[in-house]
Amino acid sequence: MRDTSAMIALEGVSHGYRTGDQQLLVLKHVTLDIWRGQSCVILGASGSGKSTLLNILGLLDRPASGQFHFAGRDMQRASTDELASIRNQEIGFVFQSFNLLPRLTALDNVALPLSYRGVSRHAARQHAMEQLQRVGLSERAMHRPAELSGGQCQRVAIARALIGSPSLILADEPTGNLDNRTATDILNRLLTLNREHAATLIMVTHDTTLARHFDRQLEIHQGEMHEVVAAGDDKHA
Amino acid sequence: MKSLPLGTTNMHEASAHITLRQVLAESIDNLNLSGRRSLLALLGIMVGSGSIIALLTIGGSAAEEAMRTFKDMGTDTLIVSFPYSADNRRPLPSTFDSHALRKAVPGISRLAPLTLHSTRVGHNGQEADAALVGTTEDLSRTIGLRLHEGRHLSHFDRRGTFAVVGARVAEDLGSQYAPLRADDLIRIDNYLFHVIGIAESLPGNPLIPITADESILIPLEGMRRLRPSPEISSVIVKADDADLPTLAESLRSQLAKELNGREVDVQIPQQLLDGLQRQANTFTYLLAGLGGISLLVGGVGVMNVMLMSVTERKREIGIRMALGARRRDIRRLFLLEAVNLSLLGAWLGAALGVAAAYGFIRLSGWEFHMTWEALPLGMGGALLAGIFFGLYPAVSASRLQPVEALRAE
Repeated sequence: MRDTSAMIALEGVSHGYRTGDQQLLVLKHVTLDIWRGQSCVILGASGSGKSTLLNILGLLDRPASGQFHFAGRDMQRASTDELASIRNQEIGFVFQSFNLLPRLTALDNVALPLSYRGVSRHAARQHAMEQLQRVGLSERAMHRPAELSGGQCQRVAIARALIGSPSLILADEPTGNLDNRTATDILNRLLTLNREHAATLIMVTHDTTLARHFDRQLEIHQGEMHEVVAAGDDKHA
Repeated sequence: MKSLPLGTTNMHEASAHITLRQVLAESIDNLNLSGRRSLLALLGIMVGSGSIIALLTIGGSAAEEAMRTFKDMGTDTLIVSFPYSADNRRPLPSTFDSHALRKAVPGISRLAPLTLHSTRVGHNGQEADAALVGTTEDLSRTIGLRLHEGRHLSHFDRRGTFAVVGARVAEDLGSQYAPLRADDLIRIDNYLFHVIGIAESLPGNPLIPITADESILIPLEGMRRLRPSPEISSVIVKADDADLPTLAESLRSQLAKELNGREVDVQIPQQLLDGLQRQANTFTYLLAGLGGISLLVGGVGVMNVMLMSVTERKREIGIRMALGARRRDIRRLFLLEAVNLSLLGAWLGAALGVAAAYGFIRLSGWEFHMTWEALPLGMGGALLAGIFFGLYPAVSASRLQPVEALRAE
């Protein structure tokens, strides 16, 4: 039995896809512990399996085999509703393509996660406005995503990820579609959240220059994971 | 957890109580936003529920129109007639002992024998065609005839030359400046008759053999002045509160005995009315079925729109799932969109249906009768169609895997 006090505890996790009668393994026996408050970067070329790993960590996909405990709970045995509830309460997603709902205003996009908790529309909007203020976009609250720049969209997405006070922020190439200056801004925001609010941060990227800002650097190569620099173990309580 | 206030301490519990208003508001927003695409499905539902409502209302009004003429007479009337037959040409009597028949057949409340004679009548140089009706004082009350002025025939008028004039005849015999009044004299063949009453107009009734407006009522016995051998052609009978079929049977056998084997036919209008009502009901069900079919087509339209919507919004579904939407949240979102669509269609359809029915009925010259059952039937049907045809797309949306949905473009 492994130490399940870690926020995320993967043991021997494998995942693959079936194409025809060939089984394609994307993740091979990954074992990983991440503690609360850590910041991790997952590096890897495209097709290396890093997005698959992030989907599993974000409870969007179930691993084909292996053990996965999230905050001590066995995710392999959780129902789809329980997974949805944990995603809603504990996890904030930031995607490369922002994934804002194009038909909703920035404000309603940010408020959306709260609506799945039964928070009233009015309260959710009020709260969403506060979040937009924190990312400096309160005056664009009534704009649709199409009327916002890429950097602004990603800030809206960050506001949306944060509105539910998640304990884990998962970022999938959050700076991939942004120019250098905006990318630095977004990255700093994420790192600040990690430092000041002790939110665990896991970011997937192929950009190795970003890696040095993180406590831990994990590298995935053809479905196998290695720790590049073991650091930040002192962080866990 | 950290600094952000949410007001709820136990969020797992709170997440189970998403208010209906919240979900409704969201699905209505979505519908507004995808407006044009939903229009066709809306049209389908609208036409479906509208046609149910319109067809039922038109059917109801048509039946009402058909029944109206019969209803005036009441449901306790019997009509006796004496059909001719080749082998029995024995003449019918010209007078009739009402009291004897009443004694012989219990359960009769009123009894009006009729002898008929068509002729031209004149007054002050005006002439008119009229049907002379020899009858007794019971007729007026049996068919519900009311007087504009004067009095009805009475038992004591039997020997006199008295007449009650129907509304149309009175109009024809009078002029604008000198309308026919009670106490005037009118010429019928070679006799002068004393007008004792002018009748109000009474709509025709296909079940009774006279049209009151075009008739002049005179005492039964007086008919012999005008025709050499008048015959009683029919008898209108008002029942007490007896069982109509039994009364009809005893009336038939008693009259047959008295009339030396002449064939006697007793009709019960109530039975005719019932048959008519049954027929009208069948007709109405048929029309409602027709409306139901158009609703079905509308429902398929809703399904089509919703399936398209689910496919188009796959990524949105993935995003919502990533943000914590449970299967039932997704299911509810799409189901409510379908229901909203059909609800809106139902309201518009109700307006359309009532308007169409009103227009049609007015054009047909009938009286508009709102068939109120049609409204819940048409609108409820639309709602059911929305739920039924929205269920499959909604369930299939909720069954999507978050990863796959997120990958969609």
